[in-house]
Amino acid sequence: MNPLILDNHIGKILSNFSNQIKKIDNKNNEIYIHLKDVNDTQIICNHVYENLNTKLATIICTDEQKTDNGFVIRYVFEKLDADIFIFIIISLEKNNCFPSIVSHVPAAATYEREIKDMFGLVPIGNPDLRPLVLHEHWPNDMFPLRKEFDLKTKVIRQEQEYPFLQVEGDGICEIPVGPVHAGIIEPGHFRFSVLGENIINLETRLFYTHKGIEKLAESMKLDEALLLSERISGDESVANSTAYCQAIEKISQITIPNKAKKIRTIFGELERAYNHIGTLGGISTDAGFAFGAARLHILKERLMQLNESLSGSRILFGVNKIGGVKCDISEGKKKLILERIDEVLSDFDKVIVMLKSKSSFMDRLKDTGIIQKKTAHDLGIVGIAARCVGIDVDTRYDHPYANYVVHNHRTPQQVMQSKIEMEKRSGDVLARFEVRINEVHDSFKIIRESLDLDTGGLFADVPVEITPYGSALGYAESHRGQTLHWVMMGEKNSIFRYKIRTASFCNWKIIEHAVLNDIVPDFPLVNKSLDLSYSGNDL
Amino acid sequence: MPSFLEITLGIIQALMLMALSPLMTGIMRKTKAKTQKRMGAGIFQPYYDMVKLMRKDEVVSDQSSWIFRSTPWVNFAAIGTAAFFIPVFLSYSPFGLVGDLLLVVGLFGLARFFTMLAGLDTSSAFGGIGSSREMMVSTLLEPALFLAIFVVALTYGGTNLSTLVEGASNSSLLPHPQLIFAAIAMFVVILGETGRLPFGNHATHLELTMMHEAMVLEYSGKSLALIDWAQSIKQVILFSLIVNIFTPWGIASSVSAISLGLGLVIFIVKISVFAIFVAFLESSIAKWRLFRIPDLITVAIASSLVGLVLYYL
Repeated sequence: MNPLILDNHIGKILSNFSNQIKKIDNKNNEIYIHLKDVNDTQIICNHVYENLNTKLATIICTDEQKTDNGFVIRYVFEKLDADIFIFIIISLEKNNCFPSIVSHVPAAATYEREIKDMFGLVPIGNPDLRPLVLHEHWPNDMFPLRKEFDLKTKVIRQEQEYPFLQVEGDGICEIPVGPVHAGIIEPGHFRFSVLGENIINLETRLFYTHKGIEKLAESMKLDEALLLSERISGDESVANSTAYCQAIEKISQITIPNKAKKIRTIFGELERAYNHIGTLGGISTDAGFAFGAARLHILKERLMQLNESLSGSRILFGVNKIGGVKCDISEGKKKLILERIDEVLSDFDKVIVMLKSKSSFMDRLKDTGIIQKKTAHDLGIVGIAARCVGIDVDTRYDHPYANYVVHNHRTPQQVMQSKIEMEKRSGDVLARFEVRINEVHDSFKIIRESLDLDTGGLFADVPVEITPYGSALGYAESHRGQTLHWVMMGEKNSIFRYKIRTASFCNWKIIEHAVLNDIVPDFPLVNKSLDLSYSGNDL
Repeated sequence: MPSFLEITLGIIQALMLMALSPLMTGIMRKTKAKTQKRMGAGIFQPYYDMVKLMRKDEVVSDQSSWIFRSTPWVNFAAIGTAAFFIPVFLSYSPFGLVGDLLLVVGLFGLARFFTMLAGLDTSSAFGGIGSSREMMVSTLLEPALFLAIFVVALTYGGTNLSTLVEGASNSSLLPHPQLIFAAIAMFVVILGETGRLPFGNHATHLELTMMHEAMVLEYSGKSLALIDWAQSIKQVILFSLIVNIFTPWGIASSVSAISLGLGLVIFIVKISVFAIFVAFLESSIAKWRLFRIPDLITVAIASSLVGLVLYYL
């Protein structure tokens, strides 16, 4: 990061709010603004959100009562036009509520509800204070992410009912779907209010597979937490573990070898390719076209077999290591990769041509599940769901990590072309279908370009003792979108707080809006096209 | 008055349809599996499934009434009765004296009516969705089916199935171009009646997209076996209708061992070929949008109308 640009931004913020700011400093590509008074949060967050071209990346709460900071809340804003994250930091001393910023930053709603559940801090001004993560069987006075909550606590079940939104009127019916579904998928509850077949309202209820990952990490060693991060959502193991490793590497200021950077890129793209092809197959299944699905699933299987012969795991577990990678790519394996991706790509193109020539299939995709650009922007959507409406966010290029900085060079003409391309995107299932196809092609291209590995080691050494209470943000683009991992170190190389925000957490909200112009039987198609993870959301 | 032998043959025909029906389902599933590059289960799997279901316990919702419990039986009785009127390998059925093609359609209607009631009876949201969709589609399918039947009936001079099939086996299609249009209409209607793609998807696990399956989602054990069996009998009846009315070659018109044996073999071959063709068709299209299905039925109705016009020309 160019320090001049950083200083420039700091200057801009300081000039407006010098009275309200206690302290401002920066590290890596992160600017930290410590506020004097909790009540200024709204004004400053609004300013950053509206005038500095940012989006809300996440809100992190930590329990720092032991170090006399009380509860600390960090609002993380991501600059959309530069590689900068702005942290607005408030600490609540002996105060169990904080001002909500929902009225100006709608994306904050779910983060604030999450904080309310996990820390028992009440966001004043948030209109929806229903529980989100912890369901109605959880006692009202237990907050699992507070330090005083012991991991082994036995919790007594209590009976309560969740107040779903009631839609009233002539002929309106409710259809409750799930949490147990007819297919072999993860649990989630969908409450439709319908008028005939038309969907009037959809309310999702998730977190049935809440595993307490963030709490669990606090009792773990750094290497153990790496395994945990791979298991957040099995199909995004590389993206999540890359983000986790980067957070630790940033804290301890390690530069990883070039070879490791390239290998991370290759595995990241392999993961993207096999998942995108699987999702395209899923779209075909849900449109009732089993033949196309069968063809695509064969290709996915071939890529997963390639994964196994490269890393020993079909879903790429055990690739990353703090400071680099564990898994080398030898000359023989390079040849294998090249052969396999050529073969898969040529078959893939044939299947896509076949799918696009099926009018019955294409008709199902077109104009189904339209996402509005404004809604997507307000809710802070990431990944394919954002790119399909022409919001150009992609962590690989916005905040280059691993080896992506090399692949980011575009001529002005290409930049212009991609801008025009973005404007054309309509936000329906078809748009997501096409964006995925393009990204599969891009992934294979990046893999090919990254195969000229440098010589050298696979990883850099990690310092024996990492400074306590250092923190950093790690990020990666999974096939679902940006995944953010914020780690704060504790004493003796322990983890003090591990905050994970996956792409699914951002994107689940959009499905309630995407289905509003659709009929009930099209819902599975819309759902599949967004490809959301339950496990990655529920943590 | 039909002779004792004829009545025996009539009963054999009906029983054969019932016995053969799961096999057709099995053949279609196998074909679809093959087109999707899967091994698929054996063609006798539907029989094993039925035996398995017969042995299982039933779970019945305490919100349901006698309608839910009696529907599988009404369903099976209505469709089983319809099977007695269908000429299979003999060009006439001795029971044709008491009922014609319109009665067959009526019996299907009765079975469907009860299935829809049972869908609503369990007060589950999916049953309701299924019933409402089935009602929408069936109110459109029935006129299309009747129009197609009229074209055939006008051509051969009656709605009695024996008359139709005998008339068909004694004449050629060439002087009756209207029959081709009736066949197109009938084919579309059969896809709809049996819930095949593009109308419905038998293989789906997605509750929200189901039509027929949503109505019977609450059934288990013996009731489910009966419903599945009735559904496959209905499918085989419709297949034999289209096969015997539009391609009646080889059907036995007299009671002799050779012609009966030949008729039986040719029937099984024809109906299997037809089933495989439908399965291939299912593999090559996606399910249509729910509200585009009426367009397809309109094609069937238009085609029948063209047939009618051609008849009077």
